[in-house]
Amino acid sequence: MTTDHDISSVRVRALEQIVERGQTWDRMAARYHVTHPLPPWKSRLDATCDALDDEGAALPLLTRRDDEDRMSREVYASLPYPENQLVALAHSLVTRNVVDEDELAARMAAVRARLDAAGA
Amino acid sequence: MAETHRDGSGHDTHQHAGTAPMVEEVTDFEVLEIALRELAIEKGLFTAEDHRRYTEHVEQLEPAAGSRFVAKAWLDPDFRRLALSDAIAASREMGIDWLHPTGFGTPSDFTAFEVLEDTPTLHHVIVCTLCSCYPRPILGMSPEWYRTPNYRRRIVRWPRQVLAEFGLYLSEDVEVRVEDSNSKHRFMVLPVRPDGTEGWTEEQLAEIVTRDCLIGVALPRPGVTSNAIRPRHPAIRPVTGD
Repeated sequence: MTTDHDISSVRVRALEQIVERGQTWDRMAARYHVTHPLPPWKSRLDATCDALDDEGAALPLLTRRDDEDRMSREVYASLPYPENQLVALAHSLVTRNVVDEDELAARMAAVRARLDAAGA
Repeated sequence: MAETHRDGSGHDTHQHAGTAPMVEEVTDFEVLEIALRELAIEKGLFTAEDHRRYTEHVEQLEPAAGSRFVAKAWLDPDFRRLALSDAIAASREMGIDWLHPTGFGTPSDFTAFEVLEDTPTLHHVIVCTLCSCYPRPILGMSPEWYRTPNYRRRIVRWPRQVLAEFGLYLSEDVEVRVEDSNSKHRFMVLPVRPDGTEGWTEEQLAEIVTRDCLIGVALPRPGVTSNAIRPRHPAIRPVTGD
């Protein structure tokens, strides 16, 4: 497991690209005139956090929350909530070697292809 | 989608009059959430079935249970006594089982629960200085500001100042107690029933017991049935490191 002081200095390119594109819920909701305050994926993100906490082995609760506070402040300060919560979780899992960065990038590409195909 | 079809049930499908608009675009954040979840499941960190049940649990949580709890405590002296002596038993009367909130157990909600009684000279407010522990079974998911280091650090040091930022100005003769939650101990505030609510029904009372009142950053007032919108300001002196 990576030591704590390394976490915020590690760059995760796949996540940086997401930040650059900036498809945050406030912007998307405004574009499509949606009034719900939170994105539809928020409850699934909360469930992922709960499920991870249940086991606690891969990413203990306090580590996850400490990382979220720190990443939101030091690395992803431009992101609003809950996007910063999601991206911070991804950053933690990558930098703590639970998920490989290339593996995450490949899976994101596959998921996007799947979802885009459904909307075509 | 402009087309309207009819299915076998006779109901219009695809487009319904009055349906709330949706974001018709796949976002990177949606993709990231799915990708992370799929990888976690494949690595055996949790199962898809566990995740579905947690999602269902999270989506049914709401602060309305806490509002009804307080309204009942205001009207029913026996329930009030039970709420203050055994909040878990009182919750069970309201249909909330703290020991098994999901029916299958959750890591962060299997916990002790205590109701903090305000008086005209004592005001409580809750926080979790470590992370964001919150009485979820009865208040739902915590608001964004409750999770922030800004609130968590400052409410314990300067409670009156922070409460004033929420628009809650307490006179000096009111003692303020800040209760720090943790993974095994959660709190909820039982505010003083406000003047002007004499003769109200439980439903009427519950309407003015907002989430913020149950956290302790607001007081119930006749006519106020929603949480205040908090303005967001960038830090004047941002923290650059610990």
